[in-house]
Amino acid sequence: MPPDGRDGKWVRRDLGPVVRPYAVTGGRTEPADGEVLDLVAVVVAAGGNGGAGDDPIRQTPEHRKILRLCQRPVTVADIASDTALPVGVVRVLLADLILQEAVRVVRNRPTVQLPGQDVLKEILNGLRAL
Amino acid sequence: MGSVRSDGASMDDGAADIPVLAAHKILIAGGFGAGKTTLVAAISEVRPLLTEERLSSAGAGLDSLRGVAGKTTTTVAMDFGRITISERLVLYLFGVPGQERFWFMWDELAYGALGAVVLADVRRLRDCFPSVNYFETRSLPFVVAVNCFDDAPHYDAEEVRVALDLDPDVPAMLCDARKLSSVKTVLTTLVESISAADPGPRRMVSALPPV
Repeated sequence: MPPDGRDGKWVRRDLGPVVRPYAVTGGRTEPADGEVLDLVAVVVAAGGNGGAGDDPIRQTPEHRKILRLCQRPVTVADIASDTALPVGVVRVLLADLILQEAVRVVRNRPTVQLPGQDVLKEILNGLRAL
Repeated sequence: MGSVRSDGASMDDGAADIPVLAAHKILIAGGFGAGKTTLVAAISEVRPLLTEERLSSAGAGLDSLRGVAGKTTTTVAMDFGRITISERLVLYLFGVPGQERFWFMWDELAYGALGAVVLADVRRLRDCFPSVNYFETRSLPFVVAVNCFDDAPHYDAEEVRVALDLDPDVPAMLCDARKLSSVKTVLTTLVESISAADPGPRRMVSALPPV
């Protein structure tokens, strides 16, 4: 754990991880709520300060970093990318935040149904405009 | 808050001020060296993404698992790119490693995916057989794109279609994974074929939520 945990700045990404991945979860490899979030599940902080002040002892710097990224709706994959944490680790930490009601899941999977024609058209137009 | 954790598109009530973010995934599959990384880089904002690989029995004796009791995975980087269609609509490309030891990841990645691109290299066409089989079995819409390497013999798309015994509704095409315009055509063809397909209940992957 960084001694100066304000934002973990001394952990420079290009140096690689300084602790083994599951050290930041306390060795846990399964989400506490048993739910495996999809890579493109969308999560968001649950309003206010996201409950960050409620139980600081249970929140690690990684929890707080994820919470900051969740101020806007964001996908699990983007959180993993932005934090440079493996997806499995992000899932465990997100589950903690969800159980603390600091974060909520907007949508776990893209959809069960195929997206509608309007969405497909929007995707097509977007791709053509690249 | 009544957060919605199940599948489905229902949005949370009382979240009116939060822009809805719709995220869709497209898988990029194909054998080792078929050009998945190149294709993802040609069209999307590439982002680093670490995920886990299940340790093979071969690796199990070599990699110490001390301190992570019960863990049988190791961390690997995967091809991952983001295409921002609009503020509220994002397309994610995930490179699906073709090697067998990554197969446990496929169901999770394929679950709820829009569709897939199977990249083929005519010099090693059989490398893409498993991908084609996988998507056919799961009824996930896909296109086959033959990456035209400079030093590879030339075949046209129809020859590849015959060689792979593709269904008539599966587009096959030639592409240059290095070129944005070419990759754009591949992805638009995929989305067009999804759009043209009969609407109806989602055909795929309902059986297999990620474990």
